[in-house]
Amino acid sequence: MPRGHLHPISSLIREANQIFSRMGFTFAEGPLVETEWYNFDALNVPKDHPARDMQDTFFIKDEPNMVLRTHTSPVQLRYMEAQKKMGVEPPYRVIVPGKVFRNEATDMTHEAEFFQIEGLAVGEDVTLANLKGTLDRFFRELFKGANVETRFRPSYFPFVEPGVEVDMRLVGPNAPEKLRDRWIEMMGAGMVHPSVLKNAGVDPEKYQGFAFGMGLDRLALLRWGIDDVRLMHSADLRFVNQF
Amino acid sequence: MKISREWLQTYFEQPLPDAHSLGEVLTFHAFEIEGIENGILDVKVTPNRGHDCLCHRGIAKELSAILTVPMKFDPLRDPVSLETTDTVSIQIQEPALCSRYIAGHIRGVKVGPSPEWLKDFLESIGQRSINNVVDATNYVMFNLGQPLHAFDAGELSERDGKYAIAVRKAKAGERMVALDGKEYTLSDSMLLIVDGHTDMSIGIAGVKGGAPAAINEETENIVIESANFDGVSVRRTAQALKLRTDASSRFEQVLSPELAAYGMKMVTDMIVQLAGGEIVGFADDYEQIQQKQNVAVSLAKINRVLGTKLHESDVEDAFARLQFAYAKEGDVFNVFVPFERLDLAASEDLVEEVARIIGYDKVPSIEMSAFPKKPEVNANFYSAEVAREELLSKDYSEVFTSVFAEKGDRIVANKIDGMAPYLRSTLLDGLKSAYDRNVRTKELLGLKYVRIFEIGAVWQKGNETMMLGIADETGIREEPLKISYGSSEYQELPTSSATRYQPFSRYPFIVRDIAMWVPKNTESFTEVVRIFGDHSQGLLRHVDLFDQFQKDERVSYAFHLVFQSFDRTLTDIEVNAIMKNITDAVAAKGFEVR
Repeated sequence: MPRGHLHPISSLIREANQIFSRMGFTFAEGPLVETEWYNFDALNVPKDHPARDMQDTFFIKDEPNMVLRTHTSPVQLRYMEAQKKMGVEPPYRVIVPGKVFRNEATDMTHEAEFFQIEGLAVGEDVTLANLKGTLDRFFRELFKGANVETRFRPSYFPFVEPGVEVDMRLVGPNAPEKLRDRWIEMMGAGMVHPSVLKNAGVDPEKYQGFAFGMGLDRLALLRWGIDDVRLMHSADLRFVNQF
Repeated sequence: MKISREWLQTYFEQPLPDAHSLGEVLTFHAFEIEGIENGILDVKVTPNRGHDCLCHRGIAKELSAILTVPMKFDPLRDPVSLETTDTVSIQIQEPALCSRYIAGHIRGVKVGPSPEWLKDFLESIGQRSINNVVDATNYVMFNLGQPLHAFDAGELSERDGKYAIAVRKAKAGERMVALDGKEYTLSDSMLLIVDGHTDMSIGIAGVKGGAPAAINEETENIVIESANFDGVSVRRTAQALKLRTDASSRFEQVLSPELAAYGMKMVTDMIVQLAGGEIVGFADDYEQIQQKQNVAVSLAKINRVLGTKLHESDVEDAFARLQFAYAKEGDVFNVFVPFERLDLAASEDLVEEVARIIGYDKVPSIEMSAFPKKPEVNANFYSAEVAREELLSKDYSEVFTSVFAEKGDRIVANKIDGMAPYLRSTLLDGLKSAYDRNVRTKELLGLKYVRIFEIGAVWQKGNETMMLGIADETGIREEPLKISYGSSEYQELPTSSATRYQPFSRYPFIVRDIAMWVPKNTESFTEVVRIFGDHSQGLLRHVDLFDQFQKDERVSYAFHLVFQSFDRTLTDIEVNAIMKNITDAVAAKGFEVR
């Protein structure tokens, strides 16, 4: 019997889990309908702060303080809290692939529901240089054979400090022609803000770590040259059966 | 925010690099640049730097540090003194929402057009020139970041030679006509500026001035406002009135009350210069004086967070370029934070300052050492992967449909497009519609049947459940995903080997059948398929051999031919012509078309 086709996002999640698992990262997850505490407050995004405007949020009617999560970052807190509850101290390494939501008009490059992969590494000596090393290895293994370069630019996300934007570039003869030598914005990242660690019950005097959040749809678009992000939820076999 | 290179140049003796070079260094050391046009940079100031960088002085300061070019002068460094007058009194009824209010009284101005240089500066960043007094307030706001407002004192009441300004909450339902000519209905959470003698409202605090005391050609006496309003309060007011202004977008970022004095000094000097008159004096109500802030960071901490091997001299250099004064004790830098840098509160903030000024390219790439524990297996993901694999092996393909639905138990309150606002309580509706759509196009893909599945969340009552839904020729069904616990390892499963996605046509397709007798050899099959391609004008999307049988030395083939264009809807007439050409060509080969 012929074999059916795996959705490209599932394929990416599977591959990312394989790569990160080899680096010691555990797959973690959390609810899609999330409290404002986990989605915002505990991540150092106070109410009525302009930083909340950075993400257009879906609120659930008649359920005060409930939102469709705008990022996978709430799981940083949920995971660390759960570990602490079980008496497990850092080091922690987790990835969180999953669906997130933004209340935006949709077009070829914007979807109201899409996928992210969050990464979190916390320990006594986890550095920003480790973030770069981890992402370099991830991209190298994902774009097999191509030479991958990454670079950081300053940015701001309330839950990290310092905060950076990460660009990636594929170079060399093995890079897909359409992507070769082009810097592409891949994700927001940084060193976990001490108040986020504190909110999760982790001692920020003793531990530090990095976090990143990358759009998987965007990664899929780049990797396979997909021309419309809305295809991801089209359930159209003319799309899915190409993977 | 729009930043003019020429305007920035007023802060420097030596010529600045061109706008693109400025954009480049800002990108790697400060802020993303959203566009550059005619010497104007659109700088995306991050919300942590709205305190000090929504103005030319802030960006000039950044450039001075990044490029190691000294500023001619920094208007925020020398203390300013404002001569007191008793011709204006101030009464702040809500000190929690207004930490400082300075009124500056100028007599005998002559309102008129602004000089060309001022008009040019304002117009270059998308502002409209109004008159010399109003332009001066706008110029200083875009220069220093302090919103300012000018009132026509002639419209204020005077008692015993004194004007009175009061800051109070609006009454519920109170109305005010603002400078834009529109009438706004206020709520009792909003803050107003009023004439303290008559209680006439003259402005919505931090958002917009009122029409009653607007500057006009006849204005001779003015009262300038340079104040500090609470960020949350201004933000809520502007949101509620749908009146986001250059002033409100600065106050909502939270400004230092110290800045108000610098703004006042600069704007009153400028008005006297442009419109004449004399400064009578200032009234300054400032009870809760901003505390001076010190933040400490050690060299060891900086290197521990960044993973670098920086030296003390690197940190000293970064702080010198930022003009941060500090006291050093061992390897600890105790930084005296400039009043406008409200973002600097913890040692991590200083780590970031050092990192971005020296450049993130100095951060090496270092892999972490091996993790001491084996990664745990997530039971839900493990189980989803098992279900996927089983269905894939039976020729089912995986789809995702939207979580938004026309019905359900929970509903989104603020969906921007207003469509399908419910969270789905079942996968069945989405899968049914996906199944039907795919059945309609299955011939394009040469599919004999459509078999799809989805693993996704549904919301029933208060619960979020992971569901497995399946649609195939026997019907549509769903059940909660079966979770198997206790696995110690994921199976190593295959990932997609696709290299490049090929866009498909969105236009309707037409299917035609053709059957023929051909001699029994492999060449004739290849020949026939080649003929189809050669005579289809590039419109043949799919060839499906759906029947074949042998009789004596001949084989009968029957094909579905699927035609579709990438740029139009095909007509029967077009496809008939193609089919005629194909039929003729097949016959010309000596094959018998049935």
